[in-house]
Amino acid sequence: MTEITNDSEFRAALDRLDAGQQRLVAAGFVKSVLHLCTDERIARVLEVAGDPGASSSTLAEALKTAKATTFDCHTRCGSEGDWLEQAGYFVARAAVAALTPLGQMPGGVAWPAAMSARMAQTSKSIVTGENTAGQESENQYRLLAGFLNS
Amino acid sequence: MTETELLMWARGPALQVATVIFLLGILVRVLEILVLGRKANLAEARGSAVAGGLRPIVSRSFPDSGTLRRSTFNVVAGYVFHTGFFIVLLLFAPHILLFRDVFGFGWPSLPTQIIDAITIVTIITLLAVLVHRIQHKVMRYLSRFQDYLVWFVTILPLVTGYLAFHRIGLTPTMLLAIHILSVELLMVVFPFTKLMHAFTLFMARYYNGSISGYRGVNS
Amino acid sequence: MSASFERGINAFKEQIDAPVAAFFSSCVRCGLCAEACLFYTETGDPERTPINKLEPMRRIWQQEYSFWGKLASSLGLSRPVTDADLTEWETLVYDSCTLCGRCSMVCPVGNDIAYMIRKMREGMAASGHAPEGLIGATRRAVTIGSPMGVKLPALQAQIRHTEKDLGYSIPVDVEGVDYLLLLSSMEIMNFPEFISAIARIFKHAGVTWTISSEAFEATNSGIQIGVSEIAAELVERIVAAAAKLKVKYVISPECGHAYMAIRWEGPNLIGRPYDFKVVHILELLDELRAAGRLKTSGKETQRLTYHDPCQISRRGGVVQQPRNLMHEIAADFVEMPETGTMNWCCGAGGGVSSNERADEIRLKVFNRKKKQLDQIHPDAIISACSNCRIHLEDGLEEYEMDIPVLSLTETIAEHLLDREQNEGQEP
Repeated sequence: MTEITNDSEFRAALDRLDAGQQRLVAAGFVKSVLHLCTDERIARVLEVAGDPGASSSTLAEALKTAKATTFDCHTRCGSEGDWLEQAGYFVARAAVAALTPLGQMPGGVAWPAAMSARMAQTSKSIVTGENTAGQESENQYRLLAGFLNS
Repeated sequence: MTETELLMWARGPALQVATVIFLLGILVRVLEILVLGRKANLAEARGSAVAGGLRPIVSRSFPDSGTLRRSTFNVVAGYVFHTGFFIVLLLFAPHILLFRDVFGFGWPSLPTQIIDAITIVTIITLLAVLVHRIQHKVMRYLSRFQDYLVWFVTILPLVTGYLAFHRIGLTPTMLLAIHILSVELLMVVFPFTKLMHAFTLFMARYYNGSISGYRGVNS
Repeated sequence: MSASFERGINAFKEQIDAPVAAFFSSCVRCGLCAEACLFYTETGDPERTPINKLEPMRRIWQQEYSFWGKLASSLGLSRPVTDADLTEWETLVYDSCTLCGRCSMVCPVGNDIAYMIRKMREGMAASGHAPEGLIGATRRAVTIGSPMGVKLPALQAQIRHTEKDLGYSIPVDVEGVDYLLLLSSMEIMNFPEFISAIARIFKHAGVTWTISSEAFEATNSGIQIGVSEIAAELVERIVAAAAKLKVKYVISPECGHAYMAIRWEGPNLIGRPYDFKVVHILELLDELRAAGRLKTSGKETQRLTYHDPCQISRRGGVVQQPRNLMHEIAADFVEMPETGTMNWCCGAGGGVSSNERADEIRLKVFNRKKKQLDQIHPDAIISACSNCRIHLEDGLEEYEMDIPVLSLTETIAEHLLDREQNEGQEP
C-alpha cells in the first residue's frame, strides 16, 4: 500500500505517471475543490478530463472552455478583488492544467493542477479566516495514494 | 503705384517690416517655450540626458522602417519638398547674391537648369501633398485652416519665383515684386503657425531624447 | 479630492512645461503618430490619432502660454475648452491609450506624446473625467493599500501557502537585508506562484530580501488615473518601509506601470531623491546571471518569443536584460517583428484593463499583437508584466490562438540548477 506524506514523495510519484494517468489524477485534484467554483462549465470539463477514453478533440474543446472560464473568473487589474471568486479562478486554472496536452507542459500537468487546487483552498481561507494551510495537500496525498493503489 | 514703385517698396520697407516680424516673432515663440522651464529630474539616471537629447536632433530625420513602410508617401514627399525648397532657397545664384548683400559672404550655386528642375519637382510634390492631406482620413481630420494657409504660403514663393525667372504672364518687374511679396508673406505668417517647427523641432527632439536618454533608451 | 471643471483647467495649466510647449509648437499635423498607435491602426478611427487625444490641452496651451494665443483669447477670438470637450475626450485619453509611447518614438518633429497624455490625465482627473474603474481602484489603493483590495491577511495567506510548498519561510519585515520586494496585486491574486519563484531564485542566488507588511503593493493607480498627490502618497509608503527596514534596494516586480511609477516618477512625485536604489526584477536577475550567481540548467525547446511590456522596455529602459535571460533558458528564441523599444503594446496597460467600458476596444486592438505573432508562430510567449500576461491570454483566447503565456521570472525559476538536492535537471 503506497502512502504519501509529503510533497517530495508526492512529486516523485506524479513524475512516474504517464500523460494519461496525470490527467486523470489532476482531474481528481480539481474535483476535490470543485465546490469552490460557481461556474458550471468547470463541472462539465471535469467530466471530460476524468474520462480515460476521451478523444483529443473532445479534450481540446474542454480545454478551450476551461481557459475561457479562467478568464471570466479572474480579477481584472485594478478592480475590486473577491477571494471567493478567485477560488473559482484557481479551480478553473487547475482544470486548464489538467486538460493541457503533454507538449505544452512537458513537466507534467498533475503538479500545476495540484498547486492551483491548493490555491483555490487558500483563496477561500482568506475570506473565512480559517487556517487551512496544508489541508488540501493532505487531501491530494490521499487521492494520489488511492489512485496508485487501485 | 507703378510697378517699379511696388518693387522698391517690396524690396525696401516691406522687407524690413517682414524681417522684423519674422525675427521678433521667432524670438518670442522660442522664449515663450523656454520661460516655462521644466523640473529637474530627481530619479537616478541610467543614461545621459544630454547625449540622449542630442541624438534625435539628427536621428529623428530618419524614420524607423515601420513608419517608412506605413507612411511611405508622407515620408518621401516630406523629404522631397523640404530638400527641394532649401536647395532652391540657398543654392540659386540670385538668392545667394541677396545673402551676400546681407551677410557679407556667399557660396557656390547650382546651375540654373538644375534649380529649375528641382523647383518643378518641389511644386508638383507640394501639390501632391495637398491632395494627400485632403484625401487621407487622418490628415483630413487633423487639418485646420492653418495647415492649408501654411501650404499656400509655402508653395507661393516657389510658383512666383518660377514665373518670375521664366518671365511668364506679367512684366519682369511685376513678377519679381510679386515673388518678393510672396516671400514676405511667408516670413510674416511664419511665427504664427506650425512653420515654427523649423526652429522648435530642435527643442522638441532634444526634450524627447533627453527624457528617454535619462532612462537609457535611444529615442 | 473633489473634482471640478475649474480645478481641471488649473491642473492642465500647471502641467504645461517647456517640453509640452515645444511639442505643441512643432506639431505639423503629419499624422505619422497614428500609424504607430495600435488604437488607430486596429480601428481606423482618426480621432484616435495620438496628437488628437491632446487637443483640449493644446488649446489651453495656446490660449494661456502663447503670446498670440493669449491675445486672441483676450479679444474673445478663441474657443475656450469646455466641460463638454473634456467629456468627449475622456474615452480618447483613457480608453484608447495605454501610455505605451510608441507615438513618441516616431514623431518626426520629436514630440513625446505619451509624456503629454500622462500630464493631460492630471487635468482630466481633476475635472472629474476619469473612468469609474480607475476611480475605484485609486480609492482602494489609498484606503486599503491595494487597488484590488488585497489586504495584508490575504497576502499572508498566500505567503503561508507558498511557504508550505517551498518548505522554508518567506522573509517578512526583516531589517537590514539588501532587497525589499514589492508585489503587484495582480500577482498576489492571479499569479501567486510568482512569490514562490522569487523565493526559490533568491535562495539559489544567495540574495537577502524581505517583503514589507506595511508596503507590499507595487501598482500605482495614481499614475494611471493621473492624480500626482495620490501617486506620491503611494510612493511615500514604500519609501517609509524601505527606510524602516534599512534596505539598499527596492525591487519592482513583473508589472509595467509599477516600474515607471517607482523607478522614474517616484522621486519627482515626492520631491526628493531616494535613499535606496530601485531595480526591476529583470535587472536584478540579469545582474545575478552576469555575476554567475544564477545558474540554470536545461532549456525550453519550444519556440519562444518575448513580449516587451512598454513601461519596462520602451519607457523604462530595461530592454537587453530580458533578452540575456531568455538566451539562458530558451533554445529557440525568436524576436517579434518590430521588437525591443519598437515592440507593440498589448493594449491593456495604463488603466485600460481596469476600465470595463474599454473592454471591446481592448480586445479589438489586440489584433495588432496577433499580427506580430502570426508572422513568427511561437509555441509560447514570455513576458514580464502580469497585466500583459492576462490580457495576452484573453486576446489569444478571443482570437482562438492556442499559445500559452508565461512569466520570465517563473520560467527561470523552473530552470534553476538545484544545488541542494542532487536531482540535477528540472524538465
